[in-house]
Amino acid sequence: MDVILQNLMNGFQVAFEPINLFWVTLGGILGTIIGMLPGLGPATGVAVLLPMTYAMGPTGALITMCGVYYGAMFGGSRSSILINTPGDGAAIAATFDGYPMAMNGRAEAALAISAIASFIGGMIATVFMIFLATPVARFALKFGPAEYFLLMLMAIAMTSSMNKGNVIKGFLSMFLGLMIAMVGLDPQSGVNRFTFGSLELQSGIDFLTVIIAIYALGEVFKCFKDIREGTKKMQTKFGKIWITREDWRRTWKPILRSTPLGFLIGALPGAGGTMAALMAYNNEKNLSKNPEDFGKGEIIGLAAPEAANNASSVGALIPMLSLGIPGSGTTAVMMGALLMLGLQPGPMLFQNHPDIAWGLIASMVVGNVILAIVNIPMAGALVRVLAIPPKILYPIILGLAFIGTYAISNSVIDFYIMIVFGIVGFFMEKAKIPSAPFILAIIVGNMMEISYRQALVISDGSMGIFVGSPIAITLLALTIGSVIMPIIKSMKKSRQGSSISMK
Amino acid sequence: MTGLISTAFGVIYSIMAYMLPDATIGNPMEPKIFPLMLGSGTTICGILLTVIEGRKKQAVKETKKANGLSHDSKLIIYTCFVTLVYALLFERIGYVLSTIIFMNAMLFALNGKEKWKTNLIVAAAFSIGVYVIFLKLLAIPLPMMPILEI
Repeated sequence: MDVILQNLMNGFQVAFEPINLFWVTLGGILGTIIGMLPGLGPATGVAVLLPMTYAMGPTGALITMCGVYYGAMFGGSRSSILINTPGDGAAIAATFDGYPMAMNGRAEAALAISAIASFIGGMIATVFMIFLATPVARFALKFGPAEYFLLMLMAIAMTSSMNKGNVIKGFLSMFLGLMIAMVGLDPQSGVNRFTFGSLELQSGIDFLTVIIAIYALGEVFKCFKDIREGTKKMQTKFGKIWITREDWRRTWKPILRSTPLGFLIGALPGAGGTMAALMAYNNEKNLSKNPEDFGKGEIIGLAAPEAANNASSVGALIPMLSLGIPGSGTTAVMMGALLMLGLQPGPMLFQNHPDIAWGLIASMVVGNVILAIVNIPMAGALVRVLAIPPKILYPIILGLAFIGTYAISNSVIDFYIMIVFGIVGFFMEKAKIPSAPFILAIIVGNMMEISYRQALVISDGSMGIFVGSPIAITLLALTIGSVIMPIIKSMKKSRQGSSISMK
Repeated sequence: MTGLISTAFGVIYSIMAYMLPDATIGNPMEPKIFPLMLGSGTTICGILLTVIEGRKKQAVKETKKANGLSHDSKLIIYTCFVTLVYALLFERIGYVLSTIIFMNAMLFALNGKEKWKTNLIVAAAFSIGVYVIFLKLLAIPLPMMPILEI
């Protein structure tokens, strides 16, 4: 207990250094701007702004990324409220009541409550995280290669099976991602795999290049469809951005209820912010005395999902930081940023680099405060970005994406790889194959194979090691469960569907 | 479609995985096992998808057929082409010049010819801005312009 508090104090010392405060503010503002752009969310924000952090050193880079991550979450709901276009999936729930509120002339209250709810949700979730991160990391130290392999398998299996509509496509995406990870020199035997005789491919395909390609190029390609529409009309003049006492009296309970819910969902691999926000919304609708008000500008319908969304984004960092296994596309990108800095997230991070692990957690608290400050009084100025036509902004995003990849490797070969993956991302989108399992698999692919083979070496080739400990059995059971559950559900549904059509 | 392509891809990948060179030390199959598992997994997913897609097609006959390339597909092909040119020029004529060309090519396509003034300003400001930030603030050198050496 004392150790945690002491570590946290040290973390705050790092986060409060003036230069780090500057970075988190800058990251937050830039993240907010990218988050506001229709279709672009935290994953794109972190991917595109990565190059900015090269020269900062690990602590500064991480703190900036944290600001970007949070900022993009705050920004996503701005465009939901004002132009009814969510910045990313997690901000969809903010359009349900946020946009009607703006239409009813209550844009100021909507912007304010979304920032307030996000702030409270993020703050409480960070406190949860402070007390959970170390125990989880300590528990993970007991894991051997077999357990680690199963844990990674569970994380990507869950992400794949959470894919709404089509579980098989989720798994297909996972297999494709793992295949990409196989390219290059086999680390254990030195055999060249799938390099097609190319020297450049021997070191493997850099996952950062793939991430930037999928999240920057792929997303911009997706947006080409709507680019002709031009800018949407929106309110640009605002009164005082704040809520009334009555608003607060009605929303504080839903905010407090939605926070733990969002946090738990976020910590589960695969579920993520979208599901957290939608569940919080439905939950409040069911609890409400007048559910018919939802969707017509009910302030609770905006506050609850916003709190859940931010809480889940904090929860999602727990498996990434303390286990080294990201549970969503966005945290996978964050992990990519850490790996680029030479830091291997996981239980050892808290032991070997406590300054960085706790500095990150402390800067989440600081980032949250700064973003709330930035987003309430300055919201009127920031949303002007929405008035800049996307036709100009998308080329800039592309330009940033290319300079980012070049800065990673100093080679134009990656431009070609990016084009390939940008197109792959676009076709995956057309075929409705989700991208999150793909990205996740690319990042954990090599580690997965190594722990699989290490486990078999320990057991002398016997598969029994994967059911050799209670932890392993539990993980395996959860993995199988996560695969079978959605299949049973969809079978039940189709049976119900056919029996209805029979009538 | 997706199902058939994935099945074919899975089978080809499995064959390629099987053809991978043997490891010289330890179990010769070692480097192949994991890729083989991935290949089979993809094939199974592909077959399952084909079956499901087949069933759906029987129920709902396809009504839509795309005629020609849509506007966004054209833009994507255009972007890829512009990027190829960008990649070819990047190290030859330096960051600033190649990026001005790239940005203008994209802006003229997306933003339109009428707004050429905005396009030129945005492209130049972006290229020079990024160059200066990378060189001065981040200390990451980018390809320089030939002859002028800036």
